[in-house]
Amino acid sequence: MSKAFKKAVSAALFLALCAGLCACNNGQSGETSQTVPGPDASITDASENGDAVYGGDAVVGITQEPSSFDPHKAVAAGDKELIFNIYEGLYKFDSTGTLNPCLATDCTISDDSTVYTFTIREGVTFHNGDTLDADDVVYSLKRAAGLLDSQDGTALVAELDCIKDVEKNDAGQVVVTLESGNSELLSYFTTGIIPDGYEDCDSQPVGTGPFKFASYTIGENVMLVKNEDYWQTGLPYLDSVTFKICADMDSGLLELQNGSIDIFPYLDSIRADQLDPSQFTIESNGSNMVQIFALNNAVAPLDDVRVREAINLAINRQDIIQVTMGGAGVELTTAMSPAMGSYYDSSLDGTYTQDIEAAKALLEEAGYPDGFSLTVTVPSNYLVHVNTAVELASELSAVGIDLEIEQVDWATWLETVYTNREYESTVICLTSDYAPYDVLQRYASSSSDNFINYSNSEVDALLAEIPTLADDSAKTEAYHEILNIMVEDSASCYIQDPTTLTAVSTRLTGYSVYPMYVQDMSQVKLAE
Amino acid sequence: MSLNAKQNLKYAGLKLIELIATLFVVSFLTFAAFSIIPGDTAQIILGPNATPAQLDRLRAELGIDQPLPVRYITWVAGAFTGNLGNSTSFKVPVIDLIAQRLPVTLGMSILALVMVIVVSYPLSVFSARRPGHLGDTVCSILGHVLFAVPPFVLSLLLIVLCSGVLHIFTMGKYAPPEKGFGNYIASLALPAFAIALPKIAMTFKFMRSAIIEQNASEYVKTERSHGLSEARILLRHVLPNSNVSSITIITLVLSDILGGSLIVEQVFNLPGLGRLLLTAIDRRDFPLLSGMIFYLALITVILYFASDILSSLSDPRIRIK
Amino acid sequence: MQSKASSFRAKTFFITGAVLLGIVVLAFVMSLVCSPYDPNATSAKEILLPPSAQHVFGTDNFGRDVFSRILDASKYTIFISIAGVAIALLLGVVTGLPAGYFGGFPDRCIMLFNNSIMCFPGILLALVAVAVFGPSMFNVVWALGLVFAPTFARVCRAGAMELKTRDFIMHAKVMRVKPLRIMYSHILPNLMPQLLPATVIGLANMTLFESGMSYLGLGVQPPDASFGKMLADCKAYVLTAPWLVIFPSLMLIIYILGLYFMSEGIRVSYSGRSDS
Repeated sequence: MSKAFKKAVSAALFLALCAGLCACNNGQSGETSQTVPGPDASITDASENGDAVYGGDAVVGITQEPSSFDPHKAVAAGDKELIFNIYEGLYKFDSTGTLNPCLATDCTISDDSTVYTFTIREGVTFHNGDTLDADDVVYSLKRAAGLLDSQDGTALVAELDCIKDVEKNDAGQVVVTLESGNSELLSYFTTGIIPDGYEDCDSQPVGTGPFKFASYTIGENVMLVKNEDYWQTGLPYLDSVTFKICADMDSGLLELQNGSIDIFPYLDSIRADQLDPSQFTIESNGSNMVQIFALNNAVAPLDDVRVREAINLAINRQDIIQVTMGGAGVELTTAMSPAMGSYYDSSLDGTYTQDIEAAKALLEEAGYPDGFSLTVTVPSNYLVHVNTAVELASELSAVGIDLEIEQVDWATWLETVYTNREYESTVICLTSDYAPYDVLQRYASSSSDNFINYSNSEVDALLAEIPTLADDSAKTEAYHEILNIMVEDSASCYIQDPTTLTAVSTRLTGYSVYPMYVQDMSQVKLAE
Repeated sequence: MSLNAKQNLKYAGLKLIELIATLFVVSFLTFAAFSIIPGDTAQIILGPNATPAQLDRLRAELGIDQPLPVRYITWVAGAFTGNLGNSTSFKVPVIDLIAQRLPVTLGMSILALVMVIVVSYPLSVFSARRPGHLGDTVCSILGHVLFAVPPFVLSLLLIVLCSGVLHIFTMGKYAPPEKGFGNYIASLALPAFAIALPKIAMTFKFMRSAIIEQNASEYVKTERSHGLSEARILLRHVLPNSNVSSITIITLVLSDILGGSLIVEQVFNLPGLGRLLLTAIDRRDFPLLSGMIFYLALITVILYFASDILSSLSDPRIRIK
Repeated sequence: MQSKASSFRAKTFFITGAVLLGIVVLAFVMSLVCSPYDPNATSAKEILLPPSAQHVFGTDNFGRDVFSRILDASKYTIFISIAGVAIALLLGVVTGLPAGYFGGFPDRCIMLFNNSIMCFPGILLALVAVAVFGPSMFNVVWALGLVFAPTFARVCRAGAMELKTRDFIMHAKVMRVKPLRIMYSHILPNLMPQLLPATVIGLANMTLFESGMSYLGLGVQPPDASFGKMLADCKAYVLTAPWLVIFPSLMLIIYILGLYFMSEGIRVSYSGRSDS
């Protein structure tokens, strides 16, 4: 892959695929990015499991070929869920969506939010036997932010682009200086820490996580083995974990039924219902994802707000959820999922209820009394999106819109739709790392993630203002305002927050679902 | 040198020339399909934002700044020495990827071929002994019907039956040969059967009529009247004489099996060449695609060549034609 | 007596084939004039209903009427197989006839090219063509047409080689009839006994390939129906909604089987005629 394309893909950070996502407790909100727990906070209390069973193997089904094991270059959500077990950052999310210290023991943020100072945890060793120190952290963060001498200045992790410098101070702490104040950045320090000077992450990943990389057989599986020297004593339980590549959701289901995989995180309720409840427990939660029927605001006739509103009124979100997820999904009106708690503006619920007549009237007003033809470009490897497009085509035909489905492979989708924005409409899921700013920053007209070409100067101004706000209620208000403006503009068509289900074999316990796209295998153990 | 040996040699020589010419065309077609049609590979890889300098550097790196004939010769030389360059999507040598998947596809194909021979031969002998009686009629009708079932439909039905209802087969549980040969065969048995069944029907149909034809011939009638045992007539005369057609059929069947396994693998979720092919198609990985296609065609070319030579050995008349 | 028995055989094959084909052709006609539902209209309230009076073949995971979709799929299947075979036949006749008639170097070249194409497992070639040019029904048709062309070229070439030594052709040659005319008005009609069964078998094989490609997602594109695509879409429901597997597979088998029987009937009846 070329550098240019890689850059493009990096810009697509946090863009994930609907077909599989873990879930979260709806009550939790993005407040966690404000919390800076003290040095004693620990991620897990392993002592609870004193009489736990050690050993054994678990097989997790995944539906896509890993494309990178590099913690800074991996952008596809499917890569991230896997390397979560290999790499750890200074901070780490837990299954409730809380941000906890991990390789750092604490963090002090300067009052103007421009300097973050981390104290590095002692006694942590990398998989290659090296001991973690501040130099490793400085190297890793500089690499992620594109600040190494060998790099051209482009951040590998786009959100860390705002870092001006990373250095070690006399006390052995790591000091990160930003270009300008940003109080929202802590959640991005979850990015993986690798040994000083290490460059072979893609072929031979080395991190500090609970599992070590063992092998990758293309098209078959990725094998991880237990990290015996893991810094959190007592973890992990399993001797090894295999991530087995399944062709799609359906073959994953058949393999579950046949016992060749133990955990499969990509099911919808129709398929999950087919599993024997005595053999599988089904984990489910709201997933903090946003499935969008993205309308390219820059192409006619979608540049007309009346047309976009008409489309919003013509579709039946509940029917789409019924057909694509077997009813397991939360209807969306705005770009934000209700999983975001108070940042979500519930007053906008129900703005769009299906009204064919109103939609037709709007289309007529916009000069399309007989409708028009529209192409929807969908990534062929995500069944949910393809199915959504099929349902949309059927619903939109009622108002005279002839929706033509064009299927493309994932790489083509990223390039033509996401990066080059050469498309009319598409269906995709957007995910974020549990921070509301992350959800909305893409709608700034200058954002490289703004693939729907949305442009509104008020929204731009609000987005520029939010990182400088210290007060949470002021932030909340600003977020609500952005959402309201976007609804007025009918920026795009937001469909659902799909609830995907994870089947876990009853021979295992301890699996927990996360509010983001990861598979945490460190707590999983054999059932007694 | 006897006249016969001379003829043999001449025939083999002619066939060899044909083989080389075919290989040339096959390699050229493969090369052309992926080097000329898709346009500028460097542009495809780098995307529309690439600078001319970047494009030039990549073209030099890939060797596509050379004139076409040079590129073709480099490619063919690479193909025969197992050096097809790196896959663009996996960044490992194409040949390694193919070698890794070969045990699945090859194992399944050979297993299917064995099934075809083991089942269709005795069945056609049995059927041809008394054409028109009940057993023959049942076999023939069954043969016609099975012939018409696409392998992937058969696979679906077999999965429902063996995996869903009977629970005697674990789908997607491929056991590599180094982890025990028995398990390897067991993991491939059902997909191989799905590919073999329509081909069993086809081979049965051809062999049955070949044997009936032989049975009706004068020399077999004469031998019967001389009181030779049926088994002796069958083994020493009928089967050898229908050998020509059986070699041809088996060759045809094998190339069909190779093609069919590409789809069936996908239904059974097996990590073979079929899956690799689809991944390569999905990712527009042209070095990988051209390598796989060339080798699959190479296998077929060699098969046809071997079948021609074998047929001529078992029936000298062919050489004269 | 031989010919009487074979004419009975031919008739049986022919009639069975015609009846089976009739079912699919009827479905094709119905898809044009009286489909009970819009085949692509989804209905979230009627998902996965078993067969009933309302929906005789049940509904699928979108609540679409399976019967209407089968009618629609018949339309595409028949269209693709006929269009594909037409292309293959045209190419085969255009290259095969002159090759066999003139012989010599051009013949060797054309046959070398043909044989080389036949060395690629057919489905592979079609898959690659679709891969390079993108999946669509149109691409499937011409890709399959190309893949099947050498088969027809072979039949034409062999026939032309045999017929050109016959008296009536020699006669025409002496009369200075132009070669093009000889080939197309004298040789071609006499190749029917070989070409007709090959065409019908070609339709069956074309359908086998097309359904396989649609199953892999490289053939007919959603929301349009094809037997292969319908089967690919129902993978998750094979145990809970068997009607989604049964009806498309059955129609697919009926169509292919009908064509096989038909070609067998034609073949036997021609060989019976030449026997007597």
